[in-house]
Amino acid sequence: MIAVSTLGAAAIGATLALFFVANARLKSANTASARSATVSAAAFDVRAAVVAIDVALQQVVEEYDSKNLAQWRRASRSWEAPATALERAAAASNDRQERRARALRDEIRSYIDDYGEPVVGIAKVSPAAVRSSVAHTEGTIRLDQIVTDTDAVARNSAVIAADRSGAAGRLADQATIAGIVALVLTPVLLILLGLWLARVVADPLRQTVAAASEVAAGNFDVRLNERRRDEFGELAHVFNAMTDSLSVSRSELIERADSLERSERHKSELISMVSHEVRTPLASVLGFTRLLLERDLPEADRLRYLGIVDAEATRLAALVSDFLDARLIEEGRFSLRREPFDLRSLVREQAEVTLGHDESHELELELPDRPLEIDGDRARLAQVVGNVLSNAVKYSPDGGTITVGAAEDHGHARVWIADQGTGIPPEHRSQLFQPFYRGDAAAAGIPGTGLGLAVSRRIVEAHDGRIGFDPLDRGTRFWFDLPLEAEAAANGRR
Amino acid sequence: MAAQTLRPLILICDDELPLRELVKAVLGDGYRYVEAEDVDQAQKVLKESKPEAIVLDVMLPGKSGLEFLSELRAKRRNNAIPVVVVSAWQSADDQRTALNAGADAFVGKPFDPKDLASVVESLIAA
Repeated sequence: MIAVSTLGAAAIGATLALFFVANARLKSANTASARSATVSAAAFDVRAAVVAIDVALQQVVEEYDSKNLAQWRRASRSWEAPATALERAAAASNDRQERRARALRDEIRSYIDDYGEPVVGIAKVSPAAVRSSVAHTEGTIRLDQIVTDTDAVARNSAVIAADRSGAAGRLADQATIAGIVALVLTPVLLILLGLWLARVVADPLRQTVAAASEVAAGNFDVRLNERRRDEFGELAHVFNAMTDSLSVSRSELIERADSLERSERHKSELISMVSHEVRTPLASVLGFTRLLLERDLPEADRLRYLGIVDAEATRLAALVSDFLDARLIEEGRFSLRREPFDLRSLVREQAEVTLGHDESHELELELPDRPLEIDGDRARLAQVVGNVLSNAVKYSPDGGTITVGAAEDHGHARVWIADQGTGIPPEHRSQLFQPFYRGDAAAAGIPGTGLGLAVSRRIVEAHDGRIGFDPLDRGTRFWFDLPLEAEAAANGRR
Repeated sequence: MAAQTLRPLILICDDELPLRELVKAVLGDGYRYVEAEDVDQAQKVLKESKPEAIVLDVMLPGKSGLEFLSELRAKRRNNAIPVVVVSAWQSADDQRTALNAGADAFVGKPFDPKDLASVVESLIAA
């Protein structure tokens, strides 16, 4: 943009400069003409003065008397003024003209001193001698030369003036042509500038407006070309950064909305699961209570039914408190009651409690010979082992072996529980520890709240441990690591 | 003793012992009972005897009660046995699914003892 403007301005400036120069040359040519006229006039005066000298000298030669002698004296002096004027005028033209004028002056003086005065002197004593042709011829030659030189000065001056005027005229012609060219070129340049501005300014502006409309319509994938190195390139860069961040924010919002929706779905599944879990013992409590109220039952039956009601009501209470407990832990609102204990014995206990009466599953224990001393909340960790074990049972409905193991591993105690069950489909693996997430369990009719693993992770992490799982060829192996007591104590000291 | 052998046989299939006890207490001494904790046991019972009615839970370990019911209705030999589905899942959808699977009646948990008793009586009488 700047380059083209500069080019146009330079063209117009050059044309104007040409006009100024041509004008100056014309002025200079006029001065030279005036000077030439002055030189010609001065040369004429000089020539007249020289003729006057010649005439006076001839008269003295013809008749030597006082009148003619006075005339000679006057004439031999009166040439000085015009000669000086000619010298001055010639000096204004150039050095050569000045030298010529000075030489002319010397010539005239020499004519007077070396020829005129001796002739006058001879005429005084011998008029006949000076009238001889020899003397006369010498004077004529000298005089002719002076006249020729005077004319030369005038002619040269005229030639210089003519030269100058010719050059000035040619320059004026060139200036006129340049002016015409500039006159034609300026609109063309202006049109080109307009087209260029349209391309350089209007096009990117249009593109920016179009892109902004796209963004307004919700398309955040639109991008501008950042290739240009001017303000538009910068604008495109900032615009693209804006659409990038809009796009990121939107996908974050969508992700958050999706996650909320998932969480809502899980919660509603949970509510129906909880209501099912509650209804089963409630059915016994209400059913037996009604029987006891309405029927006259034998004492033995009455006591047995009351026992069932008591057990089921107790189960109901435990269910509700477990659920509340799970919620508290899942929300992180719990504290640990730490004490040193042997994790190995806890694992054995839980495995036997959970699988001792299970006829469809085979228990395989892989426990170390030495105890695994850790510092932790025994009841909470029993809950973790119990949760993972009950999952292993629930998710291997066809039975099989459940392997429960523990070992020391790089300063940690590791516990693992492997089943030969249905396994976890890849699409559910990333969400497994999310609260209320149950994968396909609800559809498959497997009971649960979707809180077990979420709660287990909270508890393990509160012990500075890690929990995870590895898919097996058949089934899944869950594991968790806890710092051994020595490690935990060292960490505590730090 | 002859009257005793005439008492109708009822199969109660539920994994919860208290619920099986409740059904027996509700229906009373007028029936004979055979119990099953899951579908496998229920199928074993059906091979050995021919109950007059089945009281069936839906959520059982392993195969669900409704799967069992569908298979039962597909077999000619036992497809006439009346089945009462008793379930804690009792939305309109759940009831429709149970009836579509071949249930003759649906009772939600918890239930009024009189309701279950009258449903079973009417099905056996029919």
